[in-house]
Amino acid sequence: MKADAVRGHLDGLLLAVLEDGPLHGYAIIVAVQQRSGGALDLRTGTTYPALNRLERLGLLRSSWQSVGERRRRCYELTDAGRRSLATERQAWHDFTAAIGSVLNPTPPRAAT
Amino acid sequence: MITAADPIEEYVTALAAAVHGPARAKARLIGEIRDGLTDATAARTSEGEPGEAATRAAVREFGTIDDLIPGCQAELTIAQTRHTARLVILTSAALLAYWQLAWITHDTDPAGLPRIVQLFGINMTVLAGAAALLATTTLATTGVLARWLPTPPRLPLVVAWTGTITSAAMGIVTVTLVTASAFGASRLLMMLGGALAAAAHPVLAASARACRRCAQLPGATSALGPSQH
Repeated sequence: MKADAVRGHLDGLLLAVLEDGPLHGYAIIVAVQQRSGGALDLRTGTTYPALNRLERLGLLRSSWQSVGERRRRCYELTDAGRRSLATERQAWHDFTAAIGSVLNPTPPRAAT
Repeated sequence: MITAADPIEEYVTALAAAVHGPARAKARLIGEIRDGLTDATAARTSEGEPGEAATRAAVREFGTIDDLIPGCQAELTIAQTRHTARLVILTSAALLAYWQLAWITHDTDPAGLPRIVQLFGINMTVLAGAAALLATTTLATTGVLARWLPTPPRLPLVVAWTGTITSAAMGIVTVTLVTASAFGASRLLMMLGGALAAAAHPVLAASARACRRCAQLPGATSALGPSQH
């Protein structure tokens, strides 16, 4: 999937991979790629300003943590971030259901 | 012996030269990108890829500098805008507190404040109040409220000019108070106010200039708003 198509859903993707616990920047990128089975063509560098923005909006918070021998800034969801993720999921579900019903219409039932 | 430059350092140096914003915010963003590239290289080398090839692949995977500039510059522009707004609030609050003190002192000081200084003080109070209100609104709308309200693309420029006007006002306050003190009106109080205004003027002016520069850069406001959808 092209990077331009992914960009519109980047917030939801980042929030979703942080649902299970805090991760640092590169681990977030790896988690997105692994969950998508490598199908998402993400320009990984664009993830960092997006994380910065989500933190500014109060959807994430960050702290320095030791990762192996290195110190890395790790991000985790705030309560507002969890609520936002739930909203993103519902919106995505509604969107795919609407598109799906047009692309794959169910055949009308025969009148009894 | 001439060695090839480290591709990661070349990449982050080029990115750092292309974006502008408050030093601390910029250092954090660039530092995280450098750490990410180091981690990506380490992940590749741990899978057996040779060092230099791993580094070059990690850099390629990150995207071009042009891919990163809009998102990075938008965040740094907002950071500079918020920094300028905080300085405007601080300066305006100090100015309002100062005039309050001058008024209280005036009530008990038979020498009093010259009429011209009083009128000037009223005008400066109104200006400081308006600037503080705009700056406070800016902090709110570029923080958590930005989840619901799109950030107006021209907001950084408006805050930059507000900072410039407040800074100019501080210069005028300095000249007025020093002049008033020369004529013997509450000399110590006038000199104190003049010194405070003189100290605030260059700090605020520099931040406002940086904010205006950030706001005018390509991509500065391309990624503002609740999300990039």
